[in-house]
Amino acid sequence: MTETTEVPAPRQIFSTLALVLAIIFAGLMAYIVFAMGNEPEELVPEIKAGIRARLVIGGPGTGERPDFSRPLGAAIDDQGRIYVADTGNDRVCVFDPEGNFLFEFGGRGIAKPAPGIMATWEPGLMNSPAGIDVDENGDIYVADFRNDQIQVFDSEGKFLRRFPDPLEKVGRGASGYGGTGIAVTGIEVTDGHVYATDSYQVVVFTTNGEFVRQFGRPGTAATEMDRPNGLAVADDGTIYLADSNNNRVTALASDGTPRWVLGAPVFDLVEQVDNEFGLPRDTAISADNTILVIDAFRFEIVELDRSGKVLNRFGERGAEPGGFNFPNAIDVSDELVLVTDKGNNRVQLVELVGR
Amino acid sequence: MAKYTILCALLLTVFVAPAFGFDEMSPPTGRACSECHGLDVGETTLTVQSVRPRQGPHGGYTSGTQKCQTCHTIHNAPLGSIMLLPAPSIRDTCVTCHDGTGGKGVYGTLAARGVEATSGHRIEWTNLVPGGGSTGGAQAKTFLGMGGLLTCSDCHSPHGVDTVQPFTGDRIRVSAPQAFPTTAPEAVVKTDRLLKRRPTTATRSVDVYGSDWCAACHQGRLLASHPATNHPITSNPTNTAGVRYDWIRRVSAANTASTEWGTLGASNRGFVMPTQTVPPRQAPICQQCHEDPRSVGNDPARPQRISTLAGFNEEFRITAADGAVATDNPRFQMFPHESAVPRLLVEDFDSLCLNCHNP
Repeated sequence: MTETTEVPAPRQIFSTLALVLAIIFAGLMAYIVFAMGNEPEELVPEIKAGIRARLVIGGPGTGERPDFSRPLGAAIDDQGRIYVADTGNDRVCVFDPEGNFLFEFGGRGIAKPAPGIMATWEPGLMNSPAGIDVDENGDIYVADFRNDQIQVFDSEGKFLRRFPDPLEKVGRGASGYGGTGIAVTGIEVTDGHVYATDSYQVVVFTTNGEFVRQFGRPGTAATEMDRPNGLAVADDGTIYLADSNNNRVTALASDGTPRWVLGAPVFDLVEQVDNEFGLPRDTAISADNTILVIDAFRFEIVELDRSGKVLNRFGERGAEPGGFNFPNAIDVSDELVLVTDKGNNRVQLVELVGR
Repeated sequence: MAKYTILCALLLTVFVAPAFGFDEMSPPTGRACSECHGLDVGETTLTVQSVRPRQGPHGGYTSGTQKCQTCHTIHNAPLGSIMLLPAPSIRDTCVTCHDGTGGKGVYGTLAARGVEATSGHRIEWTNLVPGGGSTGGAQAKTFLGMGGLLTCSDCHSPHGVDTVQPFTGDRIRVSAPQAFPTTAPEAVVKTDRLLKRRPTTATRSVDVYGSDWCAACHQGRLLASHPATNHPITSNPTNTAGVRYDWIRRVSAANTASTEWGTLGASNRGFVMPTQTVPPRQAPICQQCHEDPRSVGNDPARPQRISTLAGFNEEFRITAADGAVATDNPRFQMFPHESAVPRLLVEDFDSLCLNCHNP
């Protein structure tokens, strides 16, 4: 007698398989919907190379452009509100201290078209916004890089004014297209003044837009600059400039007189070994009165004392929370540090551990 | 079964050991990378020591630098990139820095002025080369971009390896003045633009950024390849003295239409002019007709009306400095990347021809 085994019908097997797949698919969809949105990430506070990420924001998470595109600038105000210059999307996005999206303003507008082309700029429109800062009144200052001007908005994003006139020569001249306006990348607002970096110089205005002074010229001497991108101004008026393509940070008196220089342009093999920076792009003053420098090519924050001595280095390359990929700008609020993590299309609010 | 286990273990040893041989505990240095990788330039693998010293991440790798890690990760490359780069494609990687705020921006500057690019080298868009066939006509090539498309590294060596002879740039740059001593404001700054001697698909190495360099890909545009349909141009094979790309007829001063012989690098002065390169009269080189759109010079004895970027006709006259002083704007150097003028020509319409041909 032959023993027989009952074999399930193929239809039964496929039905079971389909049910399993359906459960897996439903679970995956639920995960995508509830866990992978652009809500600010709930972070387990791991420490990476001295960095503990508190908040990671990849964009508003809503609307036609839910994600940032190569953001170059970010600022945080005294209430913890976060402002992001979303360069590739020609807009500014505003978030609350928990990283929740509040509103955005901007949109593309060309103020200085080529001859024969119609200008499309209207108040509030932007063309590659780069640096951004907020004054004590909550007004928002945006470096409208490719429009060669600075725009000012109130705390709700309403346009207030712009300066300089991008079609007029500024002082003895600047690097705007056609020799007018300023090719502004970095911006710092303090004590009623706006400090802006041009391709080879620093230009100072009042917050109302009146030209005050300018200093710097192309070159590598201490009084000269090569594509400075960010700066911070201390209470005593000292300017800490990230002289990016000269690979250095320069402390300048308010009239542009150099006080010290850390780092150097690199031209031969010997000098390269000990250079302090890879590509410093921005600076900020910490709550402890130290200077924080964001280094895009070394993916780190360098902490200096006020005399230019290196105290600490924080951070490393990475795409996970706490890691950086070509970080570009830095700002400070109390003990937290805001970093524009351009290569990862996000901003991060981080804590520096072990200082 | 045991023999299969041993075989697997041997295979693992052979193929995996080199990876474990990498010292991950020591601080990362350029030397660590080059010891395994070298720098591949086609037929020859060069050591980093043979690469020219250079500011920034494009060359000058030594045991004390960390330049490799600027663009390459060792593990966990983000965004599914290739070659452990920080962005999904080669173009995106280059644009990370070359956005105009620090690294020189080459794409996007026209769009920032509301101008649509009508010609250019369309990166990661095409694999067709106009005049790429040996006797003229377009020809498909296999480039280095994904899918065989043309990309930045087809023409430029991001590692600064085996590049053309430095030439006088057509606009002054603030970078590297020590490397190439200058006297402001009429400074002369030389650069090789990281141009490969052997652009992708080239069959021979080209030392000078002149007609022959362009013909490395556009070989069908050389006079010899198809005399009946090509404009005569000067190339090394037709000029035993060699091409002096940087010896040109240039504007002699601001606010004038007078010209003089001189090198590039001065103000607008600084652009290639449409007269012959070296006396006695020779054919032009490619870059004399194909360059950034602008007001080009002509014979002051025969003033001409020329077209500008906007298409207006006006007499050629330099009215502002262009590239020699601090207030100049070097962001608008786009050639040969993109142009508002068709076929990457320096001018369009009859003006281009009339610069040399006076009926």
